[in-house]
Amino acid sequence: MANVASNRDPQMKFYILVWISLLCIVGIEVFLTYRGFSTHVLLTALLLLAFIEAGIGLLYFMHLKYDRPILLWSFVLSIVFVLLMMNQIWPDAYRMVSIGHR
Amino acid sequence: MSESVATLPGGLSSTMEPSPYGVQAKKLTIWLFIASDAVTFGAVLFGYAYIRVGTPSWPRPFHFNPSILNGMVMTAALLTSSLTMLGAVAAAKVGRKASTLKWLGVTVVLGILFAVLHLREWFHMFDGGWSLSRNPTGGPVMFGATFFSITGLHLLHVISGVLALIVVAIGYKTSWLDENHVETTGLYWHFVDLVWMFVFPLLYLLNASG
Repeated sequence: MANVASNRDPQMKFYILVWISLLCIVGIEVFLTYRGFSTHVLLTALLLLAFIEAGIGLLYFMHLKYDRPILLWSFVLSIVFVLLMMNQIWPDAYRMVSIGHR
Repeated sequence: MSESVATLPGGLSSTMEPSPYGVQAKKLTIWLFIASDAVTFGAVLFGYAYIRVGTPSWPRPFHFNPSILNGMVMTAALLTSSLTMLGAVAAAKVGRKASTLKWLGVTVVLGILFAVLHLREWFHMFDGGWSLSRNPTGGPVMFGATFFSITGLHLLHVISGVLALIVVAIGYKTSWLDENHVETTGLYWHFVDLVWMFVFPLLYLLNASG
C-alpha cells in the first residue's frame, strides 16, 4: 500500500528552513537561561519552546502534517492525555519539600 | 465504507476494511512504538521533575563552558542529522540509491558525533566526582541518578538508532530492504531528536550555574 499524500511532500529547501528555525529556538532557550529568570519562569519558557520544537518536528520532520489527520489525533492526543494524568504527582513532591526530604 | 478483498496466507479470501490510517503496517507499527516510547520518556522526565521539586538545594553543576556549549553542539548535531535523514528518505522515495546511502552515511556520522560528545560530557562529570549515587558538592545525590539515567536512556536510543541506520543502509544497498524501511527508520530517528528537545532544556539548561 502506498502512503497517502506522498505527492504533497515539501522540498528540501523547506526542510532547511524548518531546521534553521529549530536551531534558532535552541539559541533562544540558551539565551533565556542566562537572563536571570526565576526557575519557575525559566521552566515555563523552556517547556513552551520545547513543545513548539516538538510540534514542528512532528508536523514537518515526522510528516504528520502530510499524513491523514487521524494519525496525528489518535497518537498525539493519547500521549498528551497520559502526560496530563501524570500531573497528579505534584502535591506529593511539594509535601516532600515541606517535610525536609533530602 | 468501501471494502476491498484480500487473500489470506492460507489461500482463503476475506473481506477486509482498508486501514483508516492509510499507511503501511510497518509505519503504523513504528508509530505505536514511538507513542509508547514517548510515554516512557514522559514518565522518566516526570520522575526527575518530582524528585527535583521535592529536593531542596538541588545542584546546578553545568557551566556554560564546557557543559552547555557541548550540549549546544550535541543539539545542533542531532538536529542536522534529522535534516540529513530527511534527505535520505526523499532520495529513497525517488529511487536514488547512491544519494540515499550518502545521506544515511552522513546521518550515521552525526549520530556517532552526538554519542561521542555525550560520552565526553559524562567522563568530564565522572572526573569531577559525579556518579549515579555521588554528589561531589556534598548536596543531594539524586542529581546524578536522574541525570545519568535519563541521558543514558536517550544515549541508548541514539546508539540503537545508529545501528538501525547502518543495518537499513546495508539492506537498502543490497535491495533486501526498500524505501519504506528507510522512512520508518527515519521516523524513529526524528523521535530520538524530538526527545532531546526536552532533555536538553530540562536536564542541562535548568541545571546551568550562573
